[in-house]
Amino acid sequence: MACRPGNAGRLKGFKEHRTIVAEYIDRYGRSRSICHRLPALAKLIMAITVVVVGVSIPVELWPIQGVLVGIVFMAHSLARIPLSYLLRRLALFLPMLFVISLALPASQGFQSGWPIMMRILFRSTVAFLTVLWLINVMPFDQLLVTMSRLFVPKVFIAMLAFMYRYAFVLWDELEKMQVARRARTFSGGSLLFRWKTFAQMIGMLLIRAMTRAERVHGAMCARGWDGTVRSLDTQSQPDNSV
Amino acid sequence: MDKTKCPPAIATEQLMHIPDGFLSTEVCAVTTALSLGAVGYSLHKLKDSLADRTVPMTGMMAALIFAGQMVNFPLIGTSGHLIGGVLAAVILGPWAGCLALTLVLFVQCLLFGDGGIVALGTNILHMGVVGAIGGYAIYATIRRFARNTGTGTIVAAVVASWITVMAGAALFCLEFRLSQSADDFEFLNAFTLMVTVHSAIGIGEALITGVIVSLVLKQRPDLVYEPESEGNRVVGLQRVFAAGVVVALAVAAFLAPFASSLPDGLESVAMRTGIEQLNKRANHSLLSDYDIPIATESWPMLSVSLAGIVGTGSVLVIALLLGRAFRLRPSFVDATSGE
Repeated sequence: MACRPGNAGRLKGFKEHRTIVAEYIDRYGRSRSICHRLPALAKLIMAITVVVVGVSIPVELWPIQGVLVGIVFMAHSLARIPLSYLLRRLALFLPMLFVISLALPASQGFQSGWPIMMRILFRSTVAFLTVLWLINVMPFDQLLVTMSRLFVPKVFIAMLAFMYRYAFVLWDELEKMQVARRARTFSGGSLLFRWKTFAQMIGMLLIRAMTRAERVHGAMCARGWDGTVRSLDTQSQPDNSV
Repeated sequence: MDKTKCPPAIATEQLMHIPDGFLSTEVCAVTTALSLGAVGYSLHKLKDSLADRTVPMTGMMAALIFAGQMVNFPLIGTSGHLIGGVLAAVILGPWAGCLALTLVLFVQCLLFGDGGIVALGTNILHMGVVGAIGGYAIYATIRRFARNTGTGTIVAAVVASWITVMAGAALFCLEFRLSQSADDFEFLNAFTLMVTVHSAIGIGEALITGVIVSLVLKQRPDLVYEPESEGNRVVGLQRVFAAGVVVALAVAAFLAPFASSLPDGLESVAMRTGIEQLNKRANHSLLSDYDIPIATESWPMLSVSLAGIVGTGSVLVIALLLGRAFRLRPSFVDATSGE
């Protein structure tokens, strides 16, 4: 095989280890648009309002539901979130939702339950699109700070930030473990064997994660951590203690 | 290389938690209030303990459960995922475990849209409160009866996981029934389907949790949460009572619909033979304690559940009090040295 620049160092068919998962999630959080310039608190409250209204509207008032969907799509286009991204995320979300909500008429032998299923599909999709907009319209850390202004306790926000920081690290470790497992075992095997392997992977990951947490805690204490959560958000109330 | 392609784990992502639109707003409001109370109480309890160590440990545990929930393990025909409620409680204790699950559900709702915002309270109730706090109560009770041995811990974790998975599914069926206002819906089929599927998922979750706990006990037994190490002897008694209450709730929530459905099952079979009986049933829908058209008319059913809860609870409390009077005290020295 000729050594071409694009192929250097790669085995044919071997997928490069992907480390950027966050880009899939809130790729457009830091772009620029009208929606990105709105105050963060307003965006959060608007999103929550739309979701609550969408969930509470009775199914008879379906023109209002249509208006809500129109509003959500308009918000997405104002925030310059491309339709392809929306459709790709929806393509993962809708089939499972369809299958689950189909279980309702199915359990009745397809005689009744269709209005309930349509109502569920509609409301869930509106809520999903709204949350997608909220995530892609501000950076995640700004979302956390905004939530702290809505009286979410600071300890909770600190834990959330910690989790967001390390979730992808652990995810990568888990993927490495899965690659190692695939390299060492035959794929398949009995159900119990797969469960045991999976459980052992999670168990090892747990031990490594907790050891890492202890190291991180030691590093925090070495830098002056005493349990008081402090933030750089200058607009909220000064906090005295956790 | 297209960095914006979604990783394989997300590509096969399942809708794992309750989305918006499944449950009515009133049910969501009630469950959100309950879970808010529980989470607030957990935060309050954590203030008294080692607060500075809790933040990194809980955050890391939440990250682990987040990563672990993304991996689907195979079941017969379908695939399930690890919930991790009892696991979090075994490592961190009930309050931090509930918080860890809450964090996971929060992030999954926001970042993946998995589980709606309005239904977030319901999801937290199922997994954080019933899963972590309730699971810890069951786990701690069984573990105490087994004198804190290694095998006892594993068995306790296995049993607690299985029970909490079933309790969560039963709670969901209860809430779904209470949110529907239509009378033309036979809930028995949906309920049976739901509980059967979750008993299989529960077995997977229970065995996997057991293997994880055994691995942790072998390698790092100090990671397992020990309430006595906090130096509070009264906590033990409270824990036992909490265990009883939660088990009673789970049992009542799980069994009450079964109990009230058995005569209806026979009734519906008898009904199919005659139309006048169908009419009589429609006329008596107000009195029927199974099909509930409107929330205000669900009080008969709620009262059945409440009676079950109160009755089971009082029996359990009496039994526990008697049990405590005759039980030998576990030796805490043996507990900390482990086996």
